[in-house]
Amino acid sequence: MENNLERLLDETLNNPGVVGVLCADKQGLCLGVKGTATPESSGIVVALSQQAALLKPAASTAPVICLESDKGNVLVKSHEDTTLVIHKMPVY
Amino acid sequence: MSGPGPHNLDRVPDQDGYLIINGDGAVMASSGDLENDERVAGILMNMVRLASRIKINPDKPETFKRLSVVFDDFMYVATISSSKVYVSKRRHNPQEPVLA
Repeated sequence: MENNLERLLDETLNNPGVVGVLCADKQGLCLGVKGTATPESSGIVVALSQQAALLKPAASTAPVICLESDKGNVLVKSHEDTTLVIHKMPVY
Repeated sequence: MSGPGPHNLDRVPDQDGYLIINGDGAVMASSGDLENDERVAGILMNMVRLASRIKINPDKPETFKRLSVVFDDFMYVATISSSKVYVSKRRHNPQEPVLA
């Protein structure tokens, strides 16, 4: 199972513009991290995702949270008990 | 309490409502779907506080300029300016990807 997760994180990291990727469980425990993402942020992103789900309690799927700045974006999406974080840099 | 001043938030395209929240979490101005919506204001303030602790660039202590929460049919877009959080609720019509 760990090999599958490692492979999926590697595949995600190989997409254009992606510089970091992190996967966490619903308790904020970091399951895997690659690139510029830091395992210390896993608890914060899971809490962020849980707060976002409260904005539309009837929604069947969790929203995508996007933190944007000039130097890059952080995308957060939860699915079932897992949260995936993608760090992207602008590609020109 | 002084008002938020001119903000032109009502001119944001595809908008269904806006909120202006001060640093204490109090709603200073609101309209449309978000009129006096203190529940959404509280959740978004929690999110802004959490998001400000996430480093976007590992080399610099830089945090986000804009926080978007994108649902299937609408999104909340939040930004911070002069210690106030400006939130806009916008309709979201995702375009089909163009297949080459």
